[in-house]
Amino acid sequence: MASTLVLLAIGLPWLGALLVWAVRDQRPALQHALAVGFSLAAGVAALLLIPQAGTATVVDLPVGGSFGNFTFVADGLGVFLTAVATVVGSLAVIFSVDYMHGSEQLGRYYALVLFFIGAMVGLVLTSNMLLMFAFWEITALCSYALISFYNDDPKAVAGGIKALIITQFGGVGLLFGAVLLYAYTGSYDIHQFLQNPAAMPGNILGLMAFGFLAAAAAKSAQFPFQTWLPDAMEAPSPISALIHAATMVNAGVYLLARFYPAFSPVPGWTTAVMVVGMLSALMAAVMALVASDLKRTLAYSTVSQLGYMVYAVGAGGIFASQFHLFSHSIFKALLFLAAGAVIHGVGTRDMHQMGGLGKHMPLVRTVFVIGALALAGIPVLNGFWSKELVLEAGEHGGPMWIWAVMVFVAGLTALYTFRMVWMVFFGQMRGKLHVHDAGKAMKTAMVPLALASLVSWLLAGPFSAMLERTLPAHALHALSTGEMMMEVISNPFTLVALAAVVLGLAAWWWREKLAGLAQALQGLGRAAQNSFGLEDINRGIVRGTQQGAEALRVTQTGLLNWNVVGILIGLAVILVILVMGA
Amino acid sequence: MNTGIPAIVFIAVLGLLGAGLYALLISRHLIKVVVALQILVKGAMLGLVLAGRASGQIETGQALALTVIVADTIVAVVGLALAVQIRRHFNTLDITKLTTLRR
Repeated sequence: MASTLVLLAIGLPWLGALLVWAVRDQRPALQHALAVGFSLAAGVAALLLIPQAGTATVVDLPVGGSFGNFTFVADGLGVFLTAVATVVGSLAVIFSVDYMHGSEQLGRYYALVLFFIGAMVGLVLTSNMLLMFAFWEITALCSYALISFYNDDPKAVAGGIKALIITQFGGVGLLFGAVLLYAYTGSYDIHQFLQNPAAMPGNILGLMAFGFLAAAAAKSAQFPFQTWLPDAMEAPSPISALIHAATMVNAGVYLLARFYPAFSPVPGWTTAVMVVGMLSALMAAVMALVASDLKRTLAYSTVSQLGYMVYAVGAGGIFASQFHLFSHSIFKALLFLAAGAVIHGVGTRDMHQMGGLGKHMPLVRTVFVIGALALAGIPVLNGFWSKELVLEAGEHGGPMWIWAVMVFVAGLTALYTFRMVWMVFFGQMRGKLHVHDAGKAMKTAMVPLALASLVSWLLAGPFSAMLERTLPAHALHALSTGEMMMEVISNPFTLVALAAVVLGLAAWWWREKLAGLAQALQGLGRAAQNSFGLEDINRGIVRGTQQGAEALRVTQTGLLNWNVVGILIGLAVILVILVMGA
Repeated sequence: MNTGIPAIVFIAVLGLLGAGLYALLISRHLIKVVVALQILVKGAMLGLVLAGRASGQIETGQALALTVIVADTIVAVVGLALAVQIRRHFNTLDITKLTTLRR
């Protein structure tokens, strides 16, 4: 039963991708229907898989040779992320029916989206390290192709290539880890490794741990790799929702959470993870405060919230990180879809031209405000509970100064969230925009997400019980929803965090009185708008590579005799090495 | 068998390889380059037979040498055919002038 469902959850989106591609672009209605049907079916398969979660290997395909067996294990972590990827993914597909209405090349669009969802499911369910790397790279490829979907727009193409190159750095770290694992244990099996990480020598384990941290940071857009995510905003809005909430960026957090039991004894690793999370959360929050593009603001907030999850993993709060991932994927998908509806309705992404849109699109305003409240961590929405759990995990498992920074960032989150909501939906319209309300399919996709933002935290109990039951290596202890609530409410530090959120709100309310302070921080704001010099570093690397290639060009003479000299020199060097080695 | 023969063959191998490489280094004429390659490969072939005898696996050495003969024939044929085409298109066989692939 579970094995069929695992194969369906991966296979249905891929089959749908092939069919959508095969019906050609002359029949868009059929393409919309096929994409929605197959993604929903995959979502149903994933939801049916949740009660089947266990520790056993459910699919075992012998491939032979050094590839090992292609195995799939439907444990709590994998099943949970499968459900997120397929359900949020299918909502993004439903939203696309309106958003991409009348677009050209729908076949390419839907085929890549479905392929993306299937690859993400494979990534979280497989227990073969090499296969995991393959799925990891497929998601990178799909994200590249979808970010540059509008391939006649140079900015979109540049954004896609940037995402591809930066996430490849991470992919190298993952491949490195996989090969090391095989070299020392003779198998790619992740679960065997997690049960007995001592089979690897300590220094090799350290190499693997930091390689995986780099992989996760690149995939989840964490410091210092976060620059690709804002540039990925050139993609169609449902793709942004897909990348930010359902697939792609969750993979990095998943990787860290999955391998936490093996890597936590590595000296310095947990601190490094927490510092990466903290820097990402802080820098992205400051950048979100000065951004003027609606989708870029949301992208920075994703980096910041992913920073919270990475921080929670570093502090040992695996459940807190996954619970925040759960909440985040719901409210961030909602925010992106609502932002897509706004952008589709007014035709610009510049928040300085918006304002007062709430009157024209009341439903979009309502769901956006719900998502924003969850993002800011206002009780009793899902973001409140999960963020408090993350902070509590940090308070127990990490140094106090990092915790203090994270609480400060919670205040910043509230501040930039309310700035964004105000600039888009309230006040007076600043530009001259023609507004039309969202379509029916858009609303169909947003309403369930808004309801889920209100109530998804009630699932904390069963979710933590499932994780405890199916992740023996992680040594978690389950919390019922009531216990979780009591723990959050009775913790005095919750009040500190709430006070930070309220202060953030107050800072937006009294923004005119605080003008002097804003003046003083102008330099910081300018640095944030230039993404703290990280873009310059990127540009420097690109320029260095190009100049190096140009300089090496003189060695290409085109003269055969010089090439033969080169061959002879190489032969001589090899002979010398052989003689010296013998 | 006379122990002097392997020594003589070894000197022949070195001589052929040296002559071939030297010709490859100094020649500018494309036909001469093909000839130089042929000399080089003949040295390698002889070397394979010698290595087979030295390691006691004469059959392997001879089989490899036969393979090289077949491959080498193809190299010669294709190389000369290219030379004919180059002569037709560029009106020269001087390899220092054949630099259109450089940029």
